[in-house]
Amino acid sequence: MPNTFAEIQNEMRNIAKELLESGEATMVIGWEKGALPYQSTPVMIRSAEDVDKLIWDEYCQQNLSTYLIDYIYTDEKVAIFAKGCDTRAYNRLIQDNRIKAEKSIVIGVPCLGMKNAREAAKLPEGAEVPMANACKECRYPNPVTFDRKIGEDVTPWCTERDFSDVEAIEALSADEKYAFWQSQYTKCIRCYACRNICPACNCTSCIFDQSASGWCSKDVNASENQFYGVTRAFHVAGRCIECGQCEMVCPSEVPIMLMNKKFIKDIDSLFGAHEAGIDIDTPAPLSHFSVSDPEEFM
Amino acid sequence: MSDNSVETVKDTAENFEPKILVFACNWCTYAGADLAGTSRLQYPPNVRVLRVPCSCRVNPQFVIRAFQRGIDGVLVAGCHPGDCHYTTGNYYTRRRFLLINRMMEYMGIDPKRFHTRWISGAEGPKFQQVVTEMIEEVKAIGPNRKLRDDMKVTVNTPSTDEIVASVESDTKVVDDNA
Amino acid sequence: MKFIEKTNLTSLLAQLDAQYRLLVPVDYHGLTQFAPYSQVDSGVSQLYLDGNVTVSPKTVYLPQSEAMYKFSAQGKKLAIEEMPPLDRMQVLFGVRHCDTKAIQCLDKVFLDDTFADPQYKDKRDKTIVFSLACNNPKATCFCESMGIDRAHAEQSVADVQVYDLGERYGFEAVSDKGQACLNALNGMTDGEAKLPEQKPQSISFDAQGLPEKLKEMFDHPIWDEYAFKCLNCGTCSYICPTCHCFDINNKMRGTTGLKLRTWDSCMFGEYTQMAGGHQPRPGKKERVRNRFLHKLQYFNEKHNMSLCVGCGRCIAKCPVNMDITKFIRQVIAE
Repeated sequence: MPNTFAEIQNEMRNIAKELLESGEATMVIGWEKGALPYQSTPVMIRSAEDVDKLIWDEYCQQNLSTYLIDYIYTDEKVAIFAKGCDTRAYNRLIQDNRIKAEKSIVIGVPCLGMKNAREAAKLPEGAEVPMANACKECRYPNPVTFDRKIGEDVTPWCTERDFSDVEAIEALSADEKYAFWQSQYTKCIRCYACRNICPACNCTSCIFDQSASGWCSKDVNASENQFYGVTRAFHVAGRCIECGQCEMVCPSEVPIMLMNKKFIKDIDSLFGAHEAGIDIDTPAPLSHFSVSDPEEFM
Repeated sequence: MSDNSVETVKDTAENFEPKILVFACNWCTYAGADLAGTSRLQYPPNVRVLRVPCSCRVNPQFVIRAFQRGIDGVLVAGCHPGDCHYTTGNYYTRRRFLLINRMMEYMGIDPKRFHTRWISGAEGPKFQQVVTEMIEEVKAIGPNRKLRDDMKVTVNTPSTDEIVASVESDTKVVDDNA
Repeated sequence: MKFIEKTNLTSLLAQLDAQYRLLVPVDYHGLTQFAPYSQVDSGVSQLYLDGNVTVSPKTVYLPQSEAMYKFSAQGKKLAIEEMPPLDRMQVLFGVRHCDTKAIQCLDKVFLDDTFADPQYKDKRDKTIVFSLACNNPKATCFCESMGIDRAHAEQSVADVQVYDLGERYGFEAVSDKGQACLNALNGMTDGEAKLPEQKPQSISFDAQGLPEKLKEMFDHPIWDEYAFKCLNCGTCSYICPTCHCFDINNKMRGTTGLKLRTWDSCMFGEYTQMAGGHQPRPGKKERVRNRFLHKLQYFNEKHNMSLCVGCGRCIAKCPVNMDITKFIRQVIAE
């Protein structure tokens, strides 16, 4: 069984080659090395000759499942490589009816946790790079669904989510909380990278792309930015797979996962524990209700 | 809602009159408010009632938008669970607003400013009581400045809100009849 | 050349702050950008001189949202109020050479021969630029390959050239405005100094003939290869020092309102969207192609200069690491 990075990478190339040569897949989406040692980037392989571009290392952050949306109305059969979180995203997209299982091949790859590329950029060369924040709390490093799999399952290094960061904010006074979020959301430049990388943000059109509708203006200020932040967090509530990509790609370093985790914490305590994307049968918490939900509004 | 409802809030505590926005379900709370009126039940005139087809029509964005545009307190009110005109709408409201109430608190909005209540068409006195209490509470904590999207003109972005002007200042009049 | 010890930089900045509206590069809760010196003074932000800032100094001349005028309906009459101009001169301290070149690009657009944008011009005229030379480029820097002079900032933009000389900073006036500003500062010593050694940039290529090559490549398969991974977010456009597309919006409250100019990005769905619903650039391919061609071909054809200045921000911040230098090298090798 291939288990080292090099062995898995080798196996990735073999599988990609096999799928393309047999015609089972018309394209394979994997990762190639990016501009810098701490960057990997998605790559589309259409010919078996190009499979050597594929790599597998500690910076293959990007979730490739979301690219399947682009090919739903084409004749392409797309194979993707998927880490644990990517397969959760895949399940979510199937649930949301945004991709079709018969048009895709998922090649599962157990993941040992990706490294924090943002920290790597700040550290001197050769320094030990910490694990990405979301990966530290990952409980599903192994693919939860797959058509093929490379390597042996790894043992999850985390069994329970750590809500101490959310609790630290909850403990603040109202004014302190507001001051904290104000300082974070004044930084937002509304580039929508968090939205566009998010597998839960998969709407065909988004209210933030319709400024004439009056929902949200293009005026960038703390108030409108918070409107955006809360709206997006609520929209992905119960559907967030906790991959942490939103926070990772934010050029302004807004702690977006603090919002998502707050919803996760409340959903768990109010409506029972829920793990998004573990299977395709459990409905998202906000898409249904129970008559025995807690009553606070009498 | 008339344009006047977004005029500048009086900042002085003594003559502060809060603006309370009530999202009222057409089938219950709106009828409840109506009953309060026809029963001659008195409550302060700080309330603006906005009728919605069902409490589950209310998006969290409605609430944030209200605070952005100068409202001091928001009440979302609908039928009691089990009584929904559309059978299940208010069960969704309940799930949604259990979360949103907590999120607004997490963002630093005083929970006294934002309530969700079930008020039926027969509960005129409850409507009177809920809004009266809410107005008193909001009056005590003062005008809301949080999340306000003022018409301030600033230079530089982000995080550098140096205010150079605001629309409240005098404007020169151009005569379009000339 | 005039000098000041690095330990005395704060006193120099305080002097500038007293005379001008001083903008310095800061780190504000993890976001680096230009901000008023008062932020540093009050401890909200820390002065950041280790590298270039994430949000480029274009925000100083072309803020992300900028009010153009106020309006209100007064009966049958329309009232309009112009925005006040800057009330005093401002100093922009620590602009890197790539960004001075970028401001020259913006000049071509906003100070066109036929029309000078009044709000841009006001800020441009009232700003004294202190440009700081980079000794240690970041791993993403490639300004030299885009023709930027690493020893001297763009002459039409910089007023004072600043060098990092190890223990001290060296200042050289480039314009009269800069000279007058320098003369009024106390605590500086005069003398001569050798220019600092500048480490080579790790990304290096020859971009000669790029616009001509791209002209023939509108339908080339290279666009499919690059565009497939783009997310169509606006990170690259918003942090780019030369991207200058904007949209005009109304912000209304009842009968009064503001006319706003806000940044826009060619990556977004609303950009080029026509009133009838037609979208001439419907997908990733068309949008990425437009952005790259605008940077590397169209602007060249119109103004004879590249709209990419090699600051490397997009390489560092793109969520999927779209690498414009790889693209350029691939086109050159075609």
